[in-house]
Amino acid sequence: MLNIEPFHCRSWRPFYAILGTTQQFIMIHAVLIFNTSGIPRLTKFYTPLHQSSQTLIQKIFSLISIRPAGLCNFLDAPELEAFLSPKDDSDERWRVVYRNYATLYFVFVVDGAESELGILDLIQVFVEALDRHFENVCELDLVFHFDEAHHILAEIIQGGLVLETNGDEISNSVKLASKARRSSFVSANPLSLGSGGGGGPRSGSIQTPLGWLTDKLTGVATR
Amino acid sequence: MWERTLQDLIRGLRANKNDESKFIAQAMDEIRREIKNKDMELKAGAVMKLAYLDMLGYDMNWASFHIVEVMSSSKIHLKSVGYLGAVQSFNEDTDVLMLTTNLLKKDLSSTPADAAVTLNGVSSIMTADLARDLSPDLLRMLNHSRPHIRKRAVAAMYRVFEKYPDALRNGIGRLQEKLEDSDPGVVCATVNVLCELARQNPQDYLPLAPQLFHLLTTSSNNWMLIKIVKLFGSLSPHEPRLVKKLQPPITDLISTTSAISLLYECVHTCIIGNMLQGTSGYSLARMCVSKLAAFLEDPDQNLKYIALLAMVKIVPTHPHLVAEHQNTILSSVDDDDITIRMRALDLLSALVNRDNLQSIVQQVLSHLVKPESSAVPSAVQSLSQHIVPSAPAKSPSAPSQSTAYRLVLSQRIMTMCSQNTYENVADFEWYLSVLVDLAYVSNVDIGAKIRDQLVDVVGRVRAARSYSVKLMVKVLSDDTFLLHAGEPGSCSEVLWAAAWICGEYCSELSAPDELIPYLLQPEIASLSSDITAVCIQSATKLFAYWTSEAAKQWTDGFLEDLKKAVDLMIEQMEQFASSSHIEVQERAANVLQLLTFIKHDVAMYKPKQENGFSDPSVAAFDPVSEPSCPKSLYLMYPLFTSYELNPVASIAQASVPVPDGLDLDVWIVPSMQERAVEERDDGDVAERKTKRGKKGKEKESTSRMKVKGGKKKQKEESYQEELVPQEEETAEEKAERERVGIHHKLYITSYQTNVTQLKAERLERMRDDPYYIMDDRSQKPPAEDIDSIPVVRLDGPLPLPKGTHLSTHMSGTDVFAEEPRLPGLRSSASVRSTPPSFVVEREGEMPVGAVITPPPSTPAPSSRRPTPNPFDLSATPPPPLPSFQLYEVPDDELRASTPEPIKVTRAKKKGTGMTKKKRVVKPEAETKAEDNGAAVH
Repeated sequence: MLNIEPFHCRSWRPFYAILGTTQQFIMIHAVLIFNTSGIPRLTKFYTPLHQSSQTLIQKIFSLISIRPAGLCNFLDAPELEAFLSPKDDSDERWRVVYRNYATLYFVFVVDGAESELGILDLIQVFVEALDRHFENVCELDLVFHFDEAHHILAEIIQGGLVLETNGDEISNSVKLASKARRSSFVSANPLSLGSGGGGGPRSGSIQTPLGWLTDKLTGVATR
Repeated sequence: MWERTLQDLIRGLRANKNDESKFIAQAMDEIRREIKNKDMELKAGAVMKLAYLDMLGYDMNWASFHIVEVMSSSKIHLKSVGYLGAVQSFNEDTDVLMLTTNLLKKDLSSTPADAAVTLNGVSSIMTADLARDLSPDLLRMLNHSRPHIRKRAVAAMYRVFEKYPDALRNGIGRLQEKLEDSDPGVVCATVNVLCELARQNPQDYLPLAPQLFHLLTTSSNNWMLIKIVKLFGSLSPHEPRLVKKLQPPITDLISTTSAISLLYECVHTCIIGNMLQGTSGYSLARMCVSKLAAFLEDPDQNLKYIALLAMVKIVPTHPHLVAEHQNTILSSVDDDDITIRMRALDLLSALVNRDNLQSIVQQVLSHLVKPESSAVPSAVQSLSQHIVPSAPAKSPSAPSQSTAYRLVLSQRIMTMCSQNTYENVADFEWYLSVLVDLAYVSNVDIGAKIRDQLVDVVGRVRAARSYSVKLMVKVLSDDTFLLHAGEPGSCSEVLWAAAWICGEYCSELSAPDELIPYLLQPEIASLSSDITAVCIQSATKLFAYWTSEAAKQWTDGFLEDLKKAVDLMIEQMEQFASSSHIEVQERAANVLQLLTFIKHDVAMYKPKQENGFSDPSVAAFDPVSEPSCPKSLYLMYPLFTSYELNPVASIAQASVPVPDGLDLDVWIVPSMQERAVEERDDGDVAERKTKRGKKGKEKESTSRMKVKGGKKKQKEESYQEELVPQEEETAEEKAERERVGIHHKLYITSYQTNVTQLKAERLERMRDDPYYIMDDRSQKPPAEDIDSIPVVRLDGPLPLPKGTHLSTHMSGTDVFAEEPRLPGLRSSASVRSTPPSFVVEREGEMPVGAVITPPPSTPAPSSRRPTPNPFDLSATPPPPLPSFQLYEVPDDELRASTPEPIKVTRAKKKGTGMTKKKRVVKPEAETKAEDNGAAVH
């Protein structure tokens, strides 16, 4: 069911704003990733919701999935008004900006006062960061390393404000943080040979004999 | 290890697709066990699994304490798991957050890696308490040696300011320093935070303007420029001098930038910053619009969207500039993309004026029609579908079939036309046909709104009445419309309007009798009861009109037609009289009684010998002399036409003063107190509410007005105590209340003794109550009393006696002796013969606002006059006439009569009655109550 096709992010042409050494500021209310079947792969809410998050995801999914490619990337459906309009003022109205990559939808719910085009670029930044980290990222990477995806997102957005949009900057910070976690894991589990701790890409999915041994030694009950 | 177990969970989930809930329940049990384990690795693994399940919609709030445990781990790989769990699941109400303050303080001063994770976590879980306690630490971190940490600290400060505004006092200066940070990332983060803050409180951030202006002119960073421009957008309304200063750089940006997002922000800032005024502003606006128009034609949908969004903002100040591109905008409404359509609709509604309204509405309306035509595909269409099999599935009609979209479209059409009381509508016949079209094609539940619009337009625009009646006859005689009326989205409420309009303006009909069968056909009974009720009422109006017309040109040959019509009507009405809906049943039964009377009258009728060949017009104009036709033909019409219905200004009711001697808070019937209390609380009883509101403080005292029956009043008093809880209940009052309670019992025991006296009093009070039907036979009020009844002047030549006269004359049976009382109750004037000159005033063209307030006290000899409510000449649209006013005779009468008492009060206002009875001071009231109590003892 899962399509392990890499994202087509390299074909993207950044022209709305100039991607580069810079930064964009947005009040972001939620970042969602779900696949083309509507199963969530990453959900992050920076503002408390009034409804159940699942309901919102399902609603957005049902609206996005029927939109053919080639339409604009902003969702402005009347059905969503009830979910997303905490105020009547149109400037305060939340907007949904989304992009589709292979089997995944990347959805940002943002302030109405923010630049929609900027958000589109930001989604691109996020996907590129994932791609750099996982090397040809696919949906399965997000499934089995959802924590990694969260850590990467944390380098781009903090508490609903954009922290960094420069790809190199992000990549460096991600590497640093990941290295710190890995060394910490290794020092705590000398026998694991670096196979865990949120280390390198895909390392976790490869079960080494020694990893199996570690389980035995540390008495972890594997199912 | 822990990571493995998360992956096991995921694999297990994927393997157990069919039995997911069972698998998850099992996994949850394991997690609960593992999370209590002392091994931190295992605990963290459990938190990780929980976070994953949380994403799928399973609760993890119960684990918050364990998450804090993991957060406190000294190992970064575990700590980050703990913070991840916290960020995902904590909210302001999470109680363990109080335990974390010291932990967070420690983590913030730990290694850079720890600090980064903590700053990120803190930004998400910030509460007011945390913000207060952590702000010194975070402020210190603004000067951290690493830019990465400084950046995160700046972003975290925003949350601190948001939750704990006191921190702004120290914090804002520190933040300002960060605008000159060596690292561009930190500068950007600072601008970001400042922008968010300034949006809420612009004037406080004006001192930052020079620094920001420097950034604006020197930076080439589009991302930051967007934010700075945005920031100036909120600042410049508070500092007019900024406008002049900003115009050159912003004009420069607009003409040079290639980034449309920046352009959009510049345009937006120009608009909200009032930069488009004056001559330089005009050229700026022109440049903006021409840039945007270019994007509007761009193949990229996103640019189109943004361009539409920006144009909406320019329209209020420079409509003509945008109007130049109206055709492009109109074509955007045809776009495949619903998002683009919605924006284009927004823009169109902003552009609407008297000249282009029709073309725009027609265009929008065609979208509603579209799916209908595609339902029956033409040969070409079906051919093309074979060629491109995937096309029809995602055809552009897809969005227009969405119910929500159709609803928005329909509402948009009506708001476009009705805004400012139909300011933009030049041709009301056109608008009426649009409304009817809407009812047919909208296919969404918008019927109630269409109904209100129809009634409103017809009520306001006299000239459109004739056309509207024609149109409504078409709707009523459309079998298919009626057939589908039960389905959702059928707009069956339009039948309500159609029936009402045809009934109310039946004089526009050439053959009213032909329409009656449509209104009474059996299918009508299956509609919702309020529509059925209106249909019955309208059929009655039509019949009444027809008979009165027939009476005017009476020839004896007419008699047979009349008999047939009456029989048919009775037959149809009998079906409705057995309806299970009380409203329908009651109306039908009422009409049935009237019809029975007419039937007998007609049956008794014999062409008159002495007057049989006289000029019919003479008979019609002189109803006192024996008319040549059955007299009962005049029975019904005056019931409906005594007063003309006019649009009522929204403030009309509020400006009617409470008549002297009428106390809205006095119980009408003592035993009905419970119900009266409910009614008081009912906010919908606007009439009472406004009147009470007007009276203000007087209310309380008047409510304590002494009624003659002292005991009754005491009972009321006890209610007062309960109703007004804000009154402090002192011990004294409490005692008083208890005493009142005793009095209440006494009252009940002594009731029998007083009953006759009470009854007389009540009748006395009821005399002025239009809702109360007087028993005139026993009461026999003296003639001068009738004049003082402030309801309807008995001005006609044939008041009530005429009715009795009629019945006694026509038949000796007792049944009919009773009958004429029905219509004759209060509006006995209405039994007088119909004025033959029924003239529809057509001179009013636009919304009827102006209505002559007639000299109030003189009973106008003319048959009908407009309700003398103070009308609002301005454009405020009055609320749609409440349904009951439209067809219910007694209410109609009440409404029409309300002005009368006003005038009376004006004369009496000062002094009489009221003040004497009013209890102004409370203690006095209490003593009186005691007195009364003593009297009972």
